[in-house]
Amino acid sequence: MIEETIGQYEEFQNLRDYVSLTFHPTTFPVRWGQCSATADFLADYFARMDSCTGNDRNKKTEIQSAISYVLNEVVENAVKFHDGGNVLVRVGVKDGALLIEATNQVKEAQLDRLRATFEELVSGDPHEILMQRVEANADNPDQKGSGLGFLTMLTDYSAELGWKFSSQSATPGHVYVHTMARLPLES
Amino acid sequence: MEIRDANYRVWYEASSQTIYFEGLLRLGTNEYEPITNLLNQILETNPAALTLHMHDLAFLNSSGINTLYKFAIALRKQGKVKVTVKASSLIPWQSKSLANLKKFLPSIDIQTQ
Repeated sequence: MIEETIGQYEEFQNLRDYVSLTFHPTTFPVRWGQCSATADFLADYFARMDSCTGNDRNKKTEIQSAISYVLNEVVENAVKFHDGGNVLVRVGVKDGALLIEATNQVKEAQLDRLRATFEELVSGDPHEILMQRVEANADNPDQKGSGLGFLTMLTDYSAELGWKFSSQSATPGHVYVHTMARLPLES
Repeated sequence: MEIRDANYRVWYEASSQTIYFEGLLRLGTNEYEPITNLLNQILETNPAALTLHMHDLAFLNSSGINTLYKFAIALRKQGKVKVTVKASSLIPWQSKSLANLKKFLPSIDIQTQ
């Protein structure tokens, strides 16, 4: 039984109010445009809550854009890396912050690589890592992924990130990865 | 020179040495290749100056940000082009992510309206 957290992970059960969406991508392939539509729907939904954005129109636009950016990135990742199982997206508000979580299943063999990646993100200086990553990407044009999704959430959106690995309810040989981004609503 | 889809359009106006980015750019990393190729082709024409016109680019995902930052590095390595970015204060991602261009190309002039 695997149960492990990295960074600032918070259980969603502790939230009173949240929205969740479950995708079944094995029977209904999720495409990039659909990740974008999911992000925009939830961003619009939460931007309409005055408890999130207040009455300031500029603030609403800024928060809606931030939610949309972060959600789009975590949903894209969950869809891109899922290996069977469902993809679950949950968004809720707690203590002046928006909690965004995407959950997807990966092969257990991926765990060591993911753990190393996530631990580097929460222990290093994200601005420094971002610089190094882009310079490395420029030197390797065949690089498959940019690796900038989580980094830009940290550097540009002041997000806090956390992950949970859990084998509960997973297909044998697989683990669920819960990725959480905590986005401050107060600037 | 132009790359377009239902959601976005990227094109070069040689007379004004301006690259226009418009719409919503949320593609997979590999799907940015045609845009990267377009940017490299523009660089090969050895323009004295280039303007990156971003006023109408509502969204850019992290793979797109990677494409843009890598172009800034290519411009730095080429070392001859005077680069200006025209950004919009009305589009939140631009004030957050475009400033980083200066880290990759210190001489870049970012003008926000």
